[in-house]
Amino acid sequence: MLRNTTVRWGGVAQFFHWTIVVLIITQFTLALTAENLHGLKKLAVLATHKSIGITILMLALLRVLWRFNNPTPPLPATLKPYERFLAHFTHTALYLLIFITPLTGWIMSSARGFPVSWFNQFQLPDLVAKNRPLYDFMVDTHETLAWTLAGIATLHLLAALKHHFVMKDTVLRRMLPFTKTP
Amino acid sequence: MMSHIRGAWPLAACMLVWAASTASAATAPPTYALDATKSTLEFTFVQAGAQNKGRFPKFTLDFAFADDNLAASKLDVTIDVAALDTADQERDDTLRDTDLFNVKKYPQARFSATQLTKTGAGYEAAGTLMLRGVSKAQRVQFTLRSATEQGRHVLYMTGKSLVKRLDFGVGQGDWKSTEWVGADVTVTFNLRLIAP
Repeated sequence: MLRNTTVRWGGVAQFFHWTIVVLIITQFTLALTAENLHGLKKLAVLATHKSIGITILMLALLRVLWRFNNPTPPLPATLKPYERFLAHFTHTALYLLIFITPLTGWIMSSARGFPVSWFNQFQLPDLVAKNRPLYDFMVDTHETLAWTLAGIATLHLLAALKHHFVMKDTVLRRMLPFTKTP
Repeated sequence: MMSHIRGAWPLAACMLVWAASTASAATAPPTYALDATKSTLEFTFVQAGAQNKGRFPKFTLDFAFADDNLAASKLDVTIDVAALDTADQERDDTLRDTDLFNVKKYPQARFSATQLTKTGAGYEAAGTLMLRGVSKAQRVQFTLRSATEQGRHVLYMTGKSLVKRLDFGVGQGDWKSTEWVGADVTVTFNLRLIAP
């Protein structure tokens, strides 16, 4: 049950999905907390935010590799063309954002001249040289992408709820652990 | 016989005085001038698991050196701590603040060597570092390379010293923690020194 089937997401895909959900929510909490902090506390919160961001980036990479090496449970055949388009659009956007958002954060840190480490375990290379205008641009970009991600994830959540409660199909259940999909 | 020996004493004394005076004249350590434009004094530290760097752009040096007279050689550095530069305004302000360098109260740091010795790799200066109002023993390792540039004798001095920041109270309150900012700070320098 670790691998996907044509009717259900496997345990590994579910693990990637829900872990990234939890980590993204944590990221928003940390980023918004840091804005009101200064000194060592701000440094600590932002360092954790960066480490989690790198974790999301790594999980995103593994997740896409896993997806390409597994069957993908198809969308219900009853979907209208516009619903099908919306589903593909939000899924593609979410996949892109879980790569691009951490990457812009990493670029932003490099451009500021603060190298990124992963939970104090190892230091990552700088993606760009120190560059203040680029840093300022990346701060805005990173923030815009984060809120775009939040917006699209909300659409994704509402769609999942509509599938479950209105359309009464298996789309939500097949991504939930401890459930059965006929 | 006795008169012979007695007569030799003044001569021997004269020779001793002469030998001593020529010895000191030959090896009196010359004082070198710091070429500030071609010299750097930097510090590296671990911030949130990553190596970070800063520099002290303003410092003065009193350096007299003769390889064959280390006892009379001298190394004394005064650093304008307030001028520190980590290439980040927010971080520089934090470093200058009360909990870290407290530059309003302690604008300068000073290293005075009391003993210079030869080591396998170069030299070591043992002395006192006065930083943030605390004086403690500190060792500085360095190497020297001499060169002749446009007819002038210059020395390139390269070295480093490991400073335990908390020994000097650099880090009060939250900053006493070494979880996010390491306790060890490596000070490195590359100096160009011009012979008189």
